[in-house]
Amino acid sequence: MIRTGIACVAVVLLGAAIYHQVHASSLEARLVRALPGEIATDPELVEFAQSVAPPVYREHCAVCHGPALGGERARGAPNLADDRWLYGTGTIYEIEQTVLYGIRSGHPKSHNLTDMPGLGRTGQLTQQDVRDVVEYILAISKQPHDATAVERGRAIFAGAGVCYDCHGGDALGISDYGTPALTGLGGAWLYGGERETLYKSVWDGRHGSCPAWVGTLSFVQIRALAVFLHGKSQHE
Amino acid sequence: MNEPQFNRERASPRVPSNDFFDFTRTDSRRSFALLALGASLGLAIAGYGLFTSKGTSTNRLPPEDIALVNQKPIYRSDFVIQTQTLYSVPFEQTTAQQRRKVLEDMINEELMVQRGIEVDLPGYDPDVRTALVAGVELQMYADVLARSPTDAELEAYYQKHRDKYSSVGVLRLRDLMLNFMPGETDAQRSERAVRLVTELRQGARLDDAFMEKNALRDSGALLVSGKTDLGDIFDFAAQEKLQPQVYAAARRLPAGQVSDPVTAGDGLHIVVMNARKVPEALSFSAARERVWNDMKTEAQERIRNATYGYLRSKADIVAADIH
Repeated sequence: MIRTGIACVAVVLLGAAIYHQVHASSLEARLVRALPGEIATDPELVEFAQSVAPPVYREHCAVCHGPALGGERARGAPNLADDRWLYGTGTIYEIEQTVLYGIRSGHPKSHNLTDMPGLGRTGQLTQQDVRDVVEYILAISKQPHDATAVERGRAIFAGAGVCYDCHGGDALGISDYGTPALTGLGGAWLYGGERETLYKSVWDGRHGSCPAWVGTLSFVQIRALAVFLHGKSQHE
Repeated sequence: MNEPQFNRERASPRVPSNDFFDFTRTDSRRSFALLALGASLGLAIAGYGLFTSKGTSTNRLPPEDIALVNQKPIYRSDFVIQTQTLYSVPFEQTTAQQRRKVLEDMINEELMVQRGIEVDLPGYDPDVRTALVAGVELQMYADVLARSPTDAELEAYYQKHRDKYSSVGVLRLRDLMLNFMPGETDAQRSERAVRLVTELRQGARLDDAFMEKNALRDSGALLVSGKTDLGDIFDFAAQEKLQPQVYAAARRLPAGQVSDPVTAGDGLHIVVMNARKVPEALSFSAARERVWNDMKTEAQERIRNATYGYLRSKADIVAADIH
């Protein structure tokens, strides 16, 4: 009788495990198969993604973007918890493309249209030019600045520096290029908005990168990360 | 007393039971059922592994793919982004016809790529080979190209290789040669060269009449479009073009000076240095861009060599003796 009972319990446990596995596989398939717009409206998929993503994020992404997704300016790793995105508008599929192929990762499909040239280092701007354009950026980001240099900086921004070409005439950045806004809205700076940091950015240029995770992470993990990050930015 | 009874019990044949779940008794139906269950389970596991492992030919479309073309996946994510990019609207706003067109285009492209590999385009088409090499190199160098060295690293490299960082010298010179004159011996030609050098140093005008009268000609080493280059020439270009002995003489010659006769493999030369700008050592700030480029080039070289080494270690290469 006892043996029969044990056998029954074992069968039930095995059945439960098989059901769980099949259900999870079904959720994985649904998550990966879902087209834009289908995920956010499916709470079960969102919940599943939220359960898959955090350990993946901690293991692979947190080293640059920080455990709380706040980014790290020393590396130029952007904050992933706000609603500002360098590439695209922050849809799940756009985030997924960045996770899949990276930024300047060497993968042919990575975001790699341009990077920040070293305008001083290459001789395009003089030290004084760079100082002036930095004062202009400080002014439009509502920081203390040298008012006498702002107009000169504005002229360089729109002229010899050709800054407007990538950052836009309004300095709000262009998501096709992945160029950040220079207005420092909400303290959102990629490398920092202090005078010295801005000077270094303009003089030396910046070449931030993000690895391509295709082939390292599974498609389920990548999609889950995209949903997870999308959700975080929406909460913000 | 009890021993015989115990032996009898053990020796007695087991009685088949009608109870399927009575595990204390033998039951042939249960045996067959468990055997069948075990076999089915084994087959199921084997089948699952066979049809879900990577590279398995299957008609099942993995969820992350929008299509499989000869088992080569086209990712759903790429399809969505390509559709949005092509029609510049969110994917939800694209029509079924537009989506079908994008998918057909992606499948066609994949088919063409596979056809290219099938007919071994990389094996003989120079453009494809160049593109392949460039693609592989880009992947190899990604880390180097993305890296931005610190000022301290740049300056350390500059200090270590200071001799590399100088401005490029510029020369403006004439490389004259003595024509062979009928009946003139080598000794007489040398004497003529010494005489001409003296005349030039004393201010003789180096014009066509002087050249013709003294059987002189430009060596032809500094020709540009068929004419002698009388303008500025970079130091490294002069080194490339002039005979080694002639360049060695020119390198030491100040502006406005005339060299001693120089014997080179092709005859006697006289160098007239009209003007020159000597190379000057560059400061760190002036050399910074070059330092950065040199660091990148060096790093790329290291990576390239390491990659070649790795690939060669894996490759089976048979090459003929070229000596």
